Amino acid sequence: MLTLDPANHYSISSTSVLRHVYDPLLDVTNDDRFVPALAESWKALNNTTWRFTLRKGVRFHDGTPFTADSVLFTLKRVRDNTKLIKSFVYQDIDDVRKDDDFTVTVTTKRPFGSLPARLTMLGMLPPAAGAHEEAFFTKPVGTGPFRFLSWTHGDHVELEANARYWRPSIPKVDKLTVRFIPELSTRAAALRAGEIHVIDRVWPDMVATLKATAGIKVLDTPAVEAQRWHFQLAREAGKDPRVRKAVSLAIDRNTIIKELLLGYARPVVSPIPPGLIGHTTLGQKPYDPDRARAILKQAGFQNLTLDFVLMKDLYPKQLEIAQAVAAMLGDVGIKVNIRNLEIATAREQRTAGNYDLFYSGWAHMPHDPDWYFGQWFTRAGAEKMTRFNDPRVEQLIAEGRVPDPKVRQQKYEEIQKILWEDEPEIWPYYSVAIYAISDRLRNFEARRDYYVLLHEVGIA
Amino acid sequence: MRAYLLRRLWQSAVTLVGVSILVFVILRVVPGDPAKMLLPEGAPPSAVEELNRHLGLREPLWVQYEIFLRSVVRGDFGQSFQYRAPALRVVIERVPATIALAVAAMALTVVVGVSLGVLTAVRQGTPWDYGGTVLAVLGQSLPNFWLGIMLVLLFGVTLRWLPTSGFGGWASLVLPSVTLAAFPTALVARLTRASLLEILGQEYIRTGRAKGLGERRVVLRHALRNATIPLLTVLGLQIGTLLGGAVITESIFAWPGMGKLVVDAIFFRDFPVVQTILILSATIFVVINLLVDLLYTVLDPRIRYG
Amino acid sequence: MRRLPRHPMIVVGGLILIAIVAASAAAPWLAPADPVKPSFAQRLTPPRGLGGAAAHPLGTDNLGRDILARVLYGGRLSLALAAGAVVLAGGVGVVLGLLAGLAGGRVDDLLMRLADVQLAFPVIMLAIAIVAVVGTSPAALVGVLAVSGWVLYARTVRAAVLTIRETEYVEAARTLGAGNVRLVTRHFLPNTLAPILVLCSSQFATMVLLESGLSFLGLGLQPPQPSWGLMLAEGRDYLSNAWWLATMPGIAISLVVLGANLLGDGLRDLLDPRLRD
Repeated sequence: MLTLDPANHYSISSTSVLRHVYDPLLDVTNDDRFVPALAESWKALNNTTWRFTLRKGVRFHDGTPFTADSVLFTLKRVRDNTKLIKSFVYQDIDDVRKDDDFTVTVTTKRPFGSLPARLTMLGMLPPAAGAHEEAFFTKPVGTGPFRFLSWTHGDHVELEANARYWRPSIPKVDKLTVRFIPELSTRAAALRAGEIHVIDRVWPDMVATLKATAGIKVLDTPAVEAQRWHFQLAREAGKDPRVRKAVSLAIDRNTIIKELLLGYARPVVSPIPPGLIGHTTLGQKPYDPDRARAILKQAGFQNLTLDFVLMKDLYPKQLEIAQAVAAMLGDVGIKVNIRNLEIATAREQRTAGNYDLFYSGWAHMPHDPDWYFGQWFTRAGAEKMTRFNDPRVEQLIAEGRVPDPKVRQQKYEEIQKILWEDEPEIWPYYSVAIYAISDRLRNFEARRDYYVLLHEVGIA
Repeated sequence: MRAYLLRRLWQSAVTLVGVSILVFVILRVVPGDPAKMLLPEGAPPSAVEELNRHLGLREPLWVQYEIFLRSVVRGDFGQSFQYRAPALRVVIERVPATIALAVAAMALTVVVGVSLGVLTAVRQGTPWDYGGTVLAVLGQSLPNFWLGIMLVLLFGVTLRWLPTSGFGGWASLVLPSVTLAAFPTALVARLTRASLLEILGQEYIRTGRAKGLGERRVVLRHALRNATIPLLTVLGLQIGTLLGGAVITESIFAWPGMGKLVVDAIFFRDFPVVQTILILSATIFVVINLLVDLLYTVLDPRIRYG
Repeated sequence: MRRLPRHPMIVVGGLILIAIVAASAAAPWLAPADPVKPSFAQRLTPPRGLGGAAAHPLGTDNLGRDILARVLYGGRLSLALAAGAVVLAGGVGVVLGLLAGLAGGRVDDLLMRLADVQLAFPVIMLAIAIVAVVGTSPAALVGVLAVSGWVLYARTVRAAVLTIRETEYVEAARTLGAGNVRLVTRHFLPNTLAPILVLCSSQFATMVLLESGLSFLGLGLQPPQPSWGLMLAEGRDYLSNAWWLATMPGIAISLVVLGANLLGDGLRDLLDPRLRD
């Protein structure tokens, strides 16, 4: 939890708190549908123009009504104030116009098919917030189901029910306390001790202990995240498609999923995880160490050494999995140096190209793959990362940036076919999000995007 | 005495300036880009550049330091990159929890450590001594996280006597302070024992005994008093550890202290927060050690104002 | 050597340490299995007698590796690192402490300011800086550990010197024309030895634990080669469902601390000039 300004952070824990205080224009459901929130409906008039019809009768916690002015203020603020962390997300917005109190037209600088998806990440603010921003964000008001009460830094946030919330009979509890407990063992202990009702980010190995505790339920769901370890394509090893192929063949993904993650992961069938636009089925990558050895021998790579860089503590069980991979690659004659570095250093190493394989995952926020492609498979995006450069893919990504979902699906399928053959990345598994809750909790939804949203949750 | 005090104050100021320059330079020389840590991986390079400019990181180093010094004089430590709020405020919010934990741990250390030390020294060679030694060994060798998680599981989950984590009320202070105090307590116990044994063997003590002074009086009034000096040195040093080095204990117990704040700030390259904490804790540290040095001279007149 | 039998602590402490060092040195012959190669089907089996298999007396870790083998091999790296760090930090610290205490004045000021700056400065930041420049190698780690440790020795020695400097016997020696070298070797060193030995033996454990802390922060040794610190760090996440991962290397560390403490106390008694008669 970093700030109370919904446009000024990029953190999942902050989102889990602030989505209860502020509403976005659109919401995304757990089955990846974009549904109305403060906008009742929206429509693409052409490739660069969108019209939003706003919900009437909504009020902020301080009583002021929600209107088109709020949308104008919120969108222009985030686009123009480049100090805001989320500013870059909305740079393609050209203009925001108020047609009447409850109709807004947004024009974009280029086709911007992911605009609705990106708007799910932005809570709407009252225009009055602009006058004294610093003061406003110490005691903020939104339109959400809970009002902000207090925030003890590093410890907890307190929220209370908003009795006049625009969705009928929501929220179902009077008070919400969000505690920040970084250590998983302690988080699980607090749940088992009955101090809290929900914990997120549970590890597979903790599940058995939690399930064995009376009064606790464990829930899991496929996440919008795929693990993806990328090669440095400008270095000797990663440059050669035969090496990438051999590495891919030498990794026993099923063992990782079954033995190390205890089944809390799914085999990858295309780079985009299921449920998102673009997902398709390209088969599963085979495990064949003999062929890997043969390919390496044929290509003349006898004493290959790979630097495998990890960003410390970023992904569950990463060090364990990396050591397993090192052993698997060792079996086909590739020596692996594991380098588990603090995140900032690891990222600098990546920028400098000082790695062969980089351990990373990609959560497809906001339930849309445009970002992933733009970052990793365009020249501009990948220039200081993997050095990926393929004009065919670049072209397809640009063509996929239109509002029409059919066109997008088709372009994304083509992109993924190329990537699947080329293997600039290893896709070991789709992640699974695990939560544990008290069995007194009703209507808890295990979210695919790791957010904890308790709008509809009640206590028996 | 006055000249001595003035000189010590001057030295303290030199230390603080030294710390501030060192922190400032190392933060900016170490690899890692603050804007990249704030923005997600998908952010375009232009956004990274723009944000770094806003954070004031595109000025030459000496200009940045000058701006920093000028602001500090006005009491402004800059805006936290991560929390998007004044760094001083971010840090001060953590002070109550930090002080509560440090004071509780220090009290435990002194009371338990010295008692254990005296006990094992006076009963040298008895089962009391061996038991105390084993405790001291455990205190020194148990990793913080091991002790912390075991205490949480035992007292929080199984027995449910104490809250597992969080900051609020006396009960929440017990487990973290025991965890944090384990190491310094063991150290103090061993040092007390060692010093006492040495002093108890010295002539003036033997003289005291020969004169018929009670053993309790000999130990408490004479021997312990002379054992205080090495103890004070170590305790003074431990205060720094208790204030800033409690990161693992704070993580385990979700304790909103400065130890975790500073480590996270270092990892996320939140320069203003790191600078604020280091200058603040360096100040506290310098003041405490100044006091310790002054105490030496009070306790042991043989030490001149060196 | 005639006095040794009168100091059973030295004998017992020494034996414990020798046994641990010997076991680590003999790891290739003693270890029941390869310490690095994973065996996925054998993950997290408890120690023998607690439901585990006879093949793994201390159980297996999160990759099915034999913990006894890893403790034995890990001892090699951890003991060498800790010993290196204690010797380096102790050596530098004692010399600087003596220098500060004896020379006084400017030299004392400078050294003590340096110590203050160092103490007020978190080890992690130094570690990040050093790792960034030279990478994560055992030698770099000894450097980081030593840099974080020298001040404790220096300040303790300096405090002791200040006390001793003014005692009658030193003044007497000085009046009799004893030189500085003689003063140091005959009077100051023997009289500061007690706190130094106690510090060394307690710092030894601190160094092993600090190595673990650094591993945990991604600034220490890199897996899969085992060290006790790395094993502790890796076992942390399993403490509530597989306690033996972190506990076994923890016991090894405790044994070393016990041995070092006994040896330190014994040596103190042996060397203390006032207890000699």
